[in-house]
Amino acid sequence: MGGYGDVQCIDENGIRLDGRTVGEIRPISIEVGVVPVADGSARMRWGLNDVIAAVYGPMEAHPRKIQRQDRAVLDVRYNMAPFSTTDRIRPGFNRRSREISKVTAEALESVVLTELYPRSKIRVEIEIICAEAGTRCAGITAASVALAHAGIPMSDMVVSVASGKVHDIVVCDLNKEEDNYGEADLPMGILPNSGELVFLQMDGDLSPEQFQEAWDYNMGAVSVIHEHMVAALKGGEA
Amino acid sequence: MGIPLVPKLLRAHLAELAENDSRHDGRGRFEGRDLELEIDCLERAEGSARVRMGDTIVYAGVKFQIMTPYPDRPNEGGLMCSAEVRPVAGRGWEPGPPSPESIELGRVVDRGIRESGCINVEELCLIPGEKAWQVILDLFAISDDGNLFDAFALAGIAALKSAVLPAERYEIGEDRPLGVAKTPVMCSYHKVGGRFVYDADKREELGGDERIHITLGDDDHVHSLQKGLKGIFTAAEFDEIMVEARSKCAELRSLLDQKLAGE
Repeated sequence: MGGYGDVQCIDENGIRLDGRTVGEIRPISIEVGVVPVADGSARMRWGLNDVIAAVYGPMEAHPRKIQRQDRAVLDVRYNMAPFSTTDRIRPGFNRRSREISKVTAEALESVVLTELYPRSKIRVEIEIICAEAGTRCAGITAASVALAHAGIPMSDMVVSVASGKVHDIVVCDLNKEEDNYGEADLPMGILPNSGELVFLQMDGDLSPEQFQEAWDYNMGAVSVIHEHMVAALKGGEA
Repeated sequence: MGIPLVPKLLRAHLAELAENDSRHDGRGRFEGRDLELEIDCLERAEGSARVRMGDTIVYAGVKFQIMTPYPDRPNEGGLMCSAEVRPVAGRGWEPGPPSPESIELGRVVDRGIRESGCINVEELCLIPGEKAWQVILDLFAISDDGNLFDAFALAGIAALKSAVLPAERYEIGEDRPLGVAKTPVMCSYHKVGGRFVYDADKREELGGDERIHITLGDDDHVHSLQKGLKGIFTAAEFDEIMVEARSKCAELRSLLDQKLAGE
């Protein structure tokens, strides 16, 4: 993890800068159909994160060399809008967004029934309009909802959430300060119906006990996030 | 954008509608789609706006950087305007470096704003020859159902008008509004079925011919013009849309002023 500073992210009563307790996630809202020209789309607001995901396809896969005879390929792009962060981001792909696109594609390919659409392509576009921390998790979650909204058959949706450590205390769903000044970050992609994983990353420093605690926080957050996803698809609020 | 397949049937259909002076969605020739304008909607941007025209949705965000003034203009800051149409916005938009279409979009919107003189670049100078503010306006399309030009231009000027210089973050004094004195507004007309219509949607763009973009400032001063795509038009046709543009731009300007006053 990056910065070290004297920012106090948790007070003596265990209350975080944004008023949450250590095990609490940020407020979430999800709506579908936000990109009217797409086959499926979703917008997820998670804390200050504002993420739009759109799905196009299944469609013809071109160039030909990317086609797979036995399944569809997922063409996933994660991108941060230039005005999504405090310092402007220069437009265009960078190493970070390429890696996130890759692991996101692999997470989603694990649940999409790609064998139903041989030789085709499904495009998944994830745009971060406003970033707070945890944009990759919000991106994967929003993309799952957009895929479902597009009617793409899946074995399950993916709920993605990160927990981590700040001032040697394990907390659920890191905010910006905790991400900047914290000591560890553990994002996971979990299938709500089976508890299986399709996405896992970690960086920082966690003891075995802390690791377990962070893991359990992520697992514990799945059902409430999943409720929001289902409610959005059913056309209501969770 | 890939080469759009222009179905002859669509062209024929639009031409037939034109003969009866109607449009495929029932609008009048110079009638726009439903318009939504939201200002200050992006937490991380210093100024922002979202515009929805029918199923076309765009965002504009303003960020600031510190720059060294250009040697030939040591007392001036800078304005940079860039438009991105990423593949999220539609089937036809491909990933990769900016397409000529999106570069044209950014440049035409940029000219309208820049040439109107709505931003006083001298006020952006902090230390002559050494330090000045650079204003960066990023235009970002989420959903393209035609006429991104007008949506970008409106979102762009709205975002600039709501922008606040983050001086405190850079430790150079107090935050203050950017101060945008004028309100350049763009109106675009597409030749569809042999006559110009206002605010074409994607189908009309695909089945139409040339387009003309007009940016008018306060007092109807003309600040940018652009003719795009293949096609021939007469002076009389241009006169007609110029008259329309004057009243439409005034209408959009008062909508924007209303929104800004309400915020």
